[in-house]
Amino acid sequence: MKPRFKQISPLICEFEWDSAASDELLRYQLTFKKNLQQDFDSEITELRLGFKTLAVILSNPLNSSVFEDWLNSINPEEISSSLPEKIWEIPVCYSLATGRDLSSLAKLKNINQEEVISLHTQPLYRIHFYGFLPGFMYLNGLKAELHTARKSIPDREVPVGSVAIGGSQTGIYPSSSPGGWHLIGQTPISLFDPKLPIPVFAAAGERIEFTPITIREFDQLARHPRKPELR
Amino acid sequence: MIRDIGYLKILKTGPGTSVQDTGRIGYAQYGVPISGALDSKSFAWVNHLLKNKDSDAVLEICQPGLKLQFDSPTLICLAGAKAAIKLNGGIIASDGIYEIRESDQLEIGAFHLGSVLYLGIKNGFQSDKIMNSRSWYSGITSSQFAKKEDQIPYFTNQDYPSYTASKVKWDFNWAQKNVIEVFAGPEWKLLNKKSQELIESMQFTISELKNRMAVQLSELLPNTLPEMATAPVFPGTVQLTSGGKLIILMKDAQVTGGYPRILQFSEEGLSVLAQVPTRQMIKFQIKKSH
Repeated sequence: MKPRFKQISPLICEFEWDSAASDELLRYQLTFKKNLQQDFDSEITELRLGFKTLAVILSNPLNSSVFEDWLNSINPEEISSSLPEKIWEIPVCYSLATGRDLSSLAKLKNINQEEVISLHTQPLYRIHFYGFLPGFMYLNGLKAELHTARKSIPDREVPVGSVAIGGSQTGIYPSSSPGGWHLIGQTPISLFDPKLPIPVFAAAGERIEFTPITIREFDQLARHPRKPELR
Repeated sequence: MIRDIGYLKILKTGPGTSVQDTGRIGYAQYGVPISGALDSKSFAWVNHLLKNKDSDAVLEICQPGLKLQFDSPTLICLAGAKAAIKLNGGIIASDGIYEIRESDQLEIGAFHLGSVLYLGIKNGFQSDKIMNSRSWYSGITSSQFAKKEDQIPYFTNQDYPSYTASKVKWDFNWAQKNVIEVFAGPEWKLLNKKSQELIESMQFTISELKNRMAVQLSELLPNTLPEMATAPVFPGTVQLTSGGKLIILMKDAQVTGGYPRILQFSEEGLSVLAQVPTRQMIKFQIKKSH
């Protein structure tokens, strides 16, 4: 579980793991991140996660041997902290009106729409990190039966709150944007508020559960917005 | 010091005028792009000459056709591109400090050298600060680019300003380099020898697809690298797409990506790149970072 260290530029470096994205790797990455933050508090401007990476942005150039020595000094077995228990409920209206690709995706997968919804709502999805758009969560846990290659021509505009599938991933568009994923539903819940000190509601390591709602409930929630709730 | 609010009114604008500062440092963990001035060198220079704070907000101008009116006295400073600029109809140089009086009009015409002009103002523009930055970004600040009739606040002391310091010359030549120093990116080593040599020896053209998010180079490369697990990217990261395009990420770029990251610009290199006009050529000089 020891990562490789790479110096990218004098102010950017990265730790990279060889294994695929998993809960175990994430648990390791998060502990590793916490330790780095503690040990290099004054040298680090920013730490950022990828599925198999942890990037470090330095405030001043630092000799790369400092991190290499630190890496040699830590014991990868000494990982005690576990992933957070928090599970966030995201209400989703799965319908053609709120997810225009629901029936085409079902056809592509040779199943019916109800099966798409049931397969999508069964798992708990793990939040690995944010990226792509402000407040966009990279989630792990989409069932293999729903993996669908991205569209060859991206849509000009995906509506805010769209719940979509792209490749082996699923996600929610926190703002409207161009996008190449298949839209299967929409949440009326706002996922990103730039006016808040922490603009997102959930942290890396926590989980998401999608719960189906009717179009009526969707309209009601859209009129009377509320924050995401814990399960 | 009296700090009344004055307004800069946009009378006319081309696309690509925005308020920028040093950006949103520390918010990439929420998926928020860093934003901030494309050419941080010229940005720093205008604030330095005005004796402003390093992070004070300036106006970033990427297209000709801008006409502005100041409603109160202040000092302004220009740096970056060399353009045809008029103050109340009279031609002025595109670098250095100018005293502004009530109702003065400033016009930015054709760009002769470089691509991005910075207009700094005494004490910085005072548009909304969100997540520790005034840099305009869609979905975070109320404006993304300046529109006609927009009013951007600044502090005025209501006195006619005077500026007496000796004239410091801005060197327009620093950004005229076409060889830009870059570092090997994390996926550089995955490229085969032939591709590496090609990238080191070729000249690349800045395509028309150039904005605050990214600069696409026109030439295509043979690419055999697959997409990878989504990883952090930075301003100045050069991505090689599956179609063989090279994309240089700029300040408004998304914070993660799935394409191999083959090169990385330094902040200084990124400032030079920001000033290179479309259709001009650049060449990479690859430097080892350690």
